[in-house]
Amino acid sequence: MNGTDCPAGHDLREVEAFLFNEARLLDERKFEEWSQLFTPDGYYWAPARLDQEEPWTEVSLMFDDLEIMRNRIARLRHPKVYAQLPASRAVRQVSNITVDSSSLQDGHFDVRSVLFVFEYRPTLPEPLERTLAGHVVHRLAASDAGLRIAMKKVSLVNCDSAFDSLFFYY
Amino acid sequence: MSALDPSLPDPDFAELVKPDRVSRRLYRDPTIFDLEMQRIFGRAWLYLAHESQLPNEGDYVTAWMGRQPVLVIRHPDGNVHVLHNRCPHRGAMVVTDERGNTGKTIRCGYHGWTFRTNGELLLAPMRDAYAGRYDLTDHACFGLARVPRVTCYRGFIFASLAAPHDPLPGLLEFLGETRRCLDMVVDRAPDGEVDVSGGVHKYIVRGNWKSQMENLNDNYHPPFSHASTTDAEQRQFRRRVGDDSGVHLDTREQGSKWDDVRARGLDWGLSYCDPLPFNHEKRGGPLFEAHCKALRNRHSAERVEQIMTDFFHNVIIYPSVVLQLASSHVRTIRPIAPDRTEIRVYPIKLKGAPEEINRQLVRYLNITHSAGSLIQSDDVEMFRRIQGGLASEGQEWIWFNRHMADDAERNGGGTSEMVMRNQYRGGYLRYMNQGAQ
Repeated sequence: MNGTDCPAGHDLREVEAFLFNEARLLDERKFEEWSQLFTPDGYYWAPARLDQEEPWTEVSLMFDDLEIMRNRIARLRHPKVYAQLPASRAVRQVSNITVDSSSLQDGHFDVRSVLFVFEYRPTLPEPLERTLAGHVVHRLAASDAGLRIAMKKVSLVNCDSAFDSLFFYY
Repeated sequence: MSALDPSLPDPDFAELVKPDRVSRRLYRDPTIFDLEMQRIFGRAWLYLAHESQLPNEGDYVTAWMGRQPVLVIRHPDGNVHVLHNRCPHRGAMVVTDERGNTGKTIRCGYHGWTFRTNGELLLAPMRDAYAGRYDLTDHACFGLARVPRVTCYRGFIFASLAAPHDPLPGLLEFLGETRRCLDMVVDRAPDGEVDVSGGVHKYIVRGNWKSQMENLNDNYHPPFSHASTTDAEQRQFRRRVGDDSGVHLDTREQGSKWDDVRARGLDWGLSYCDPLPFNHEKRGGPLFEAHCKALRNRHSAERVEQIMTDFFHNVIIYPSVVLQLASSHVRTIRPIAPDRTEIRVYPIKLKGAPEEINRQLVRYLNITHSAGSLIQSDDVEMFRRIQGGLASEGQEWIWFNRHMADDAERNGGGTSEMVMRNQYRGGYLRYMNQGAQ
């Protein structure tokens, strides 16, 4: 496995472009458009423990299917979402992208990457400034409309730490 | 660390805590914070852990009693000990993981002093140097100090740093009526036991610990600070399986229906409030029925009906912990500094309940009480804003003066501030004044 093999019909450049675009949608707070990248049964999962195997028997920072995603995004759009008034700005860097060719099945394949997010919230009495970093797995599915996300798992290196509120998707 | 100067007189708490208001200093003054750590967190019964986190001998979890580090550990005889996490020799913490298993002994990393899981010193390397002069079996000098009072109620482990002669009542008397709330939580488990080992949410509040305590039975704030969680009809999303809807946060009425959510104030600042108006109708559905069926193996049909009917939403066991029934969890409040508090939220899973009940309970807790919660982050934001605002000296007081008449019976509607006044009268002032020498 060299980390560059993709299923037939896909190549690494396409995968990279997909991940960069996804990150940019989040940076630009285009959450609705971002959520449309998911398959109908897709989900976003941020474990609360690094070796957590699944999201059902213990708590997670986030474990959102499309219904919860809609609730979370609607809240972020609400005029009285005090926790995001003013809103955070964020920039995401996605790197170290590899395709896990051993994961190829049913048209799905896993892509691993490293994520750094810098977040700044210009609020009183003190701004929030933080860096979050972690390993990410995207389980991608090919569709007629291009790649789609069946699962995005964000394992922050400090996922078991006590956080200031986490407001959106990383 | 302590800013306490023993030569200074006590702050005049009667001037700082009035019947209907309290001084901003209570939220910002490091001297008052130090007194709170000594007299409240250094004395009250504090919730530390649940038995289900320590199934095997040598299992431990670390905790904080105020600012003091302790470990809660299972001894081979099955007993749970609460030990100070401090080597008696030179003072190093003997355990620095949040949880784990020490095996039969706990060894300090510095000079290898080794202790049994009940705190007794087992060996000090090269002990000849002490021969003839020191009795290393003298636990007070050379053992891991034990927290003097430890009591478990239905699996919930509480401890108190109060001295043996202290008039603080035993745990059962201290809990008083709130025991009924704990019973209700545990009785919902068809096996009669709950499981608190399903991970933990942790978040930091950039505010004072009391802001969190004063929010928990405050049903004046939800329609406002949680407005962003509602739809166009002001109805919140569904919180759990079996409910047909979420809470209706309606602000149109002047006489708020939230005042139907009664709260009761108890001794030592404890309180609990009625269930929230989650449902249009009675709960139901196949999962709910399966849960009731499992309970009927242990209880009569009438008792099951009673167990499954919510009689409270939030119970506050001042000053350290709150439990919720619908969003089944136990939440600890750990003051770190006047402007910094750590909150931990543990799901309470019901042993013997249909697996899907516990899965959904874990799942919804992510939404309601994680660092990334859709609800809690509103509160955390307000605590932060309070801390910022109280830097202003433009006004001295924080008001808790809604429905003052409720205090006579310590029974008030949801928008009453009786609960907060009771935290000050029944809890805070009692601790502060009894702690004065």
